[in-house]
Amino acid sequence: MTRIPLRPLARILEARQKGENPDAIERENRRLRHEDMRDRARIRAEGRLLVLGVMFFCAFGLVGARMGILAASEAEEPRAQATGASIIATRADIVDRHGRVLAKNMETHSLYAHPHQMIEPERAAAELAQIFPDLSHERLLKDFTGKRTFVWVKRKLSPEQMQAVHDLGEPGLLFGPREMRLYPNGALAAHVLGGAGYGIEGVHSAEVVGRAGIERFFDEELRDPAREGAPLELALDLTVQAASERVLEAGMSLMNAKGAASVLMDAHTGEVISLVSLPDFDPNSRPAAPVAGSPGDSPLFNRAVQGVYELGSTFKIFAAAQAMDLGLVTSETVIDTRPPFRVGGHGIGEFENKNYGELSVADIIIKSSNRGTGRLALAIGTERQQAFLKRLGFFDPVPFEMVEAPGGKPLLPARWTDLSSVTISYGHGLSSSPLHLAAGYAAIANGGFAVKPTLLRQDAPQRGERVLGAESAKAAQRMLRAVVTRGTASMGDVPGYHVAGKTGTADKPRENGGGYYDDKVINTFAAMFPAHEPRYVLIVTLDEPVETSGEKPRRTAGWTAVPVAAEMIARIAPLLDLRPDYGPGLDAAPETMVLSSN
Amino acid sequence: MSYLEYNVKTVPSGWRKILYLNWPMVVLLSAIAGVGFLMLYSVAGGSFSPWAEPQMKRYVLGLTAMFVVALVPIWFWRNMAVLAYLGALGLLVLVEFFGTVGMGAQRWIDLGFMRLQPSEVMKIALVMILAAYYDWLPLRRTSHPFWVLLPVVLILLPTGLVLTQPDLGTALLLTFAGALMMFLAGVHWLYFAVVLGIGAGTIRMVFESRGTEWQLLKDYQFRRIDTFLDPSSDPLGAGYHITQAKIAMGSGGWTGKGFMQGTQSRLNFLPEKHTDFIFNTLAEEFGFIGGMSLLGLYILVLAFCLVSALANRDRFSSLLTLGVGLTFFLYFAVNMSMVMGLAPVVGVPLPLVSYGGSAMLVLMIAFGLVQSAHIHRPR
Repeated sequence: MTRIPLRPLARILEARQKGENPDAIERENRRLRHEDMRDRARIRAEGRLLVLGVMFFCAFGLVGARMGILAASEAEEPRAQATGASIIATRADIVDRHGRVLAKNMETHSLYAHPHQMIEPERAAAELAQIFPDLSHERLLKDFTGKRTFVWVKRKLSPEQMQAVHDLGEPGLLFGPREMRLYPNGALAAHVLGGAGYGIEGVHSAEVVGRAGIERFFDEELRDPAREGAPLELALDLTVQAASERVLEAGMSLMNAKGAASVLMDAHTGEVISLVSLPDFDPNSRPAAPVAGSPGDSPLFNRAVQGVYELGSTFKIFAAAQAMDLGLVTSETVIDTRPPFRVGGHGIGEFENKNYGELSVADIIIKSSNRGTGRLALAIGTERQQAFLKRLGFFDPVPFEMVEAPGGKPLLPARWTDLSSVTISYGHGLSSSPLHLAAGYAAIANGGFAVKPTLLRQDAPQRGERVLGAESAKAAQRMLRAVVTRGTASMGDVPGYHVAGKTGTADKPRENGGGYYDDKVINTFAAMFPAHEPRYVLIVTLDEPVETSGEKPRRTAGWTAVPVAAEMIARIAPLLDLRPDYGPGLDAAPETMVLSSN
Repeated sequence: MSYLEYNVKTVPSGWRKILYLNWPMVVLLSAIAGVGFLMLYSVAGGSFSPWAEPQMKRYVLGLTAMFVVALVPIWFWRNMAVLAYLGALGLLVLVEFFGTVGMGAQRWIDLGFMRLQPSEVMKIALVMILAAYYDWLPLRRTSHPFWVLLPVVLILLPTGLVLTQPDLGTALLLTFAGALMMFLAGVHWLYFAVVLGIGAGTIRMVFESRGTEWQLLKDYQFRRIDTFLDPSSDPLGAGYHITQAKIAMGSGGWTGKGFMQGTQSRLNFLPEKHTDFIFNTLAEEFGFIGGMSLLGLYILVLAFCLVSALANRDRFSSLLTLGVGLTFFLYFAVNMSMVMGLAPVVGVPLPLVSYGGSAMLVLMIAFGLVQSAHIHRPR
C-alpha cells in the first residue's frame, strides 16, 4: 500500500506559491488517512461480526435441529430416580419336608399420597376410610389437608383394594411396587416361621427382613442372591404340624390349660417334624410384643423352645437308664422306697404321700416313685449324674435353628448338692424346655446316641456321641412301654402304635419366689413310638391344666397330657406312614428279659 | 470515534431519555421472563410459591435496575469499568473465604436479602473492562503481543478464581465471552488459531491425566464428561439428568402435553426442574413449538443487540453491546445444549427463565448498559 505523506513537498510548495495555508493540506491528508483506517477497522469488525453471526447461526441450527430430533423421538415411559440402593427382592421360599410352601414372596403394592397433587383431598380421605376400615378418616383428612407432602397410607394392598383405590381416580394417590412375605397357611407353624417385616423401605421397593424364628435365623441365607430362589427345606411336615396343632388346641381347651406345647422329633435324625406352641399368632400380621403381663404368656412366646419348666417325673427314666448303664442295678433290682428318706435334712415324699414299699427299678418308673429314683441318684453320684445330663444337652440352650433358641437356657441349681441330685432325678430343681426333653428322650429311643435337634431336613440319621449302652436303652424303652400298659400313662395307649412314655407332673413355682403352688401344675407326657423300635419322640406339655370330669379336679399328667398325646399320636402316626401293628411288640418282652437275666 | 469526539448536545437528556429506550428489547426481555414465570408456576404444581412469586419480585427489581442504569450516561459507565472489574475481582476473592457452600461449591455471599454470586457480577464486569480497554487502545496496537497479553490476563484472573470455587460452567463462560470480545475487537486471528491448538492439546492432556496422581479435573467432572459422552452408561446415576431431560423433551413431541400437564417435571422425575433444567419442562408442556418460540425470542434479543451495536459509532458502546449479547448467547446456548444432551452438564442457568436471583439481576443490569449505550449513542 502506498502511503501518502502528510506533507507532500510538491503540493506544499505549490500551495505556498498560491498563497494558501499548507497546513490545510496536512489536515486534509490526516483526515483521509484517519478515514481510511476507520474504514479498514470497520471492514475487519464487520468481517468478525459476520464470523460471529455464522457461529450464532450454527449454534441455533444445532439446538433447533436437536430439539426437532428429540421432539420426533418416541416418548419413553418416565422412570423414577432410584432412592438409594435398589433392593434385590428375591427372598427364598420356605417349604416343608415335602416341598409344600410355608412362606413365599408375593408382589404387592404400597399406597402413598402426595397431598399437594390431590384434587379432592376431602373426598379421597372419605373414600379411603371406606376401602380400608382400619384407617381413621380424621387422621387421613388431617394428613391430606395439612402441610405434609408425603403420606404413607398403607404398606400392603390386596389387588381388590388396589383396584378400588385406582378407581377413585385421584392423582395424588400413588402406588409403589414392593414385595411382601406371605404365609399361606396363616397361623400354622407360626412360632417356627416367626414372621417378616420391612427393613429399609422406599417408595419403589422395600426390603423384607426376618423378624423372628427361622426367618430371622436364616435371614442372610434367604436373602442371598446366590441362592437363586432355591427354597429353604425344613424338616417340618405340614400335615403333621396341622394335625398336631388341631389336637393340641382341642386338648388345651378340654383340659382348661392356659398354654400348651408339643414337639415331635425323629429320634434318629433329630429332625423336628412338628413344633407347636399355644397360644399362637398369625405371622402375616405378627403382633407387637406385649408391654404388660408375663412375657411367658404372650402368644409370641415359644413354649416349646423358649419356655423352661421343671418337667417333673419325665426325668426319672434318665436316672434309671444311667443306673442300669453303670451296672449299679438291673430293671429287676429291688429298691427300698419306704420312708423316711432324708437327704440334707429334707424328707423326700411321694405323690399323695403313698408308700410303695419295696419296688423293682422297673416298678419305680411304672409307679413313678420319687424316693426310688432318689436312691438311684445317690447311687449314681452327683458328678456322674451331671456328666450324663450334660451329654444329653440339659446344661446348655439347644443349638437350634431359631433365634429364640438361646432364650431357652436351662436353669440349674446354683450349688449341686446331694439334695439337688435327688430332686433333679425326679424332675425338680432343673428347668429345661420341652425341646431339651425331646432330645433327651430321642437318645433313649434311638438306642443311646445323643442327637442335635434340627429344623432342617436331614437325609441321613445322626450318629452323635453314644451316651447310653444299647442294652440299657432297650431296657429303658421297655420300662417306658410298661408305664403305658400298666402304669401312670394307661390312657396313652394307641392301638397299633405301641406308645411308650413317662408322665410328669410338676408344681409350678410361685413367681414371687418361695415354694410352689399347690393348684398350678405343668403336665408333661414324654412319649416314643412304636415302642418295639422307636422312631419318633413326642413331648406334650400343658400349662396349668385341670381335668374336671371327675368328682374333684384332677391335675396329674396321666389325666391331662397323656390322653392329649394319645389322640395326637392316633392322628399323626398314619400321616407319618407308620403301619399299625397289632402284634405283641415289647409287651411280651419283660418275661423274656427276666428269663435271660436270671 | 470515541464519545469525546461527538457533541453531547445531540444526546437526549432528562426524562426524555425514556422515549429513546430500546423499547422492543424491553418487551422481548419481559416476554422471556414471562415464560419463566409460567414455567415456575407450572413446576410448582400450579402455585406461585415457592418459585414464581420471588422470581417476579426479582424481575421487577431487575427491571428497575435496568432503567436506572440505562438513564445514566454511557461514558460514566465507561469510567466505572475498571472499578467494576476490581470490585468483582475483590468479591471473588472474598467468596473464597466467606462464601456459603451450596451444591458442593463455594459460590455465594449472603447479603441478607439475597445471595450474591460474584461470578455473575464478574461476567458483566469483564465485558465492561474489555470494551473500555479496546476503546482506549489505539487501533494499530490491537494485535501487538503485549497489548494482547493484557486482556488475556484480565480474563484469566477471574476465570482462575471461579475455577477454584469450583464452577466449571461459569469459568468456561467467562473465557469464551472474553475471547470472543477480543476476536470482535480485531485481534489477529493467528492468536486464536494458536490458542485453539493449545486448547485441543490441553484437553488431550486432561484426559490422559485421569487416574494419575496429577489428575487435573475432579472425579465428578470426569464423570460428567463420561456420562455426556454416553448417558446410557449410568442411567440412574449421573446420567440420570440427561436421560430424564431427553425423555421429557421426547414426550413433549411437537405440540407438547399442554400447560401444567408435564409429568416428568411435576412428578419429580426431573432434577433441578426449576433451575438449570427448566427448559425441559417447557419442551414437555409446549413441545417443539414452545421450545422454538423461546429460542426465537432469544434470537430476537440477540438481533437487537447486533443491530444496536452496528448502528453505534462509539467503540465502547458497540463492544459493550456485543459483549452483553455474547454473554447472553453463551448462557442459553450452553444451557440448551446441556439439557438436550449436546454438551456436558456444567450448571449454567437458562437466562431470565431459570429460578435464581443473581443471574437475573446481573443480566438486567447488563441490558441496562446496552440501553444506556443505545440512548447515548452519537448521532
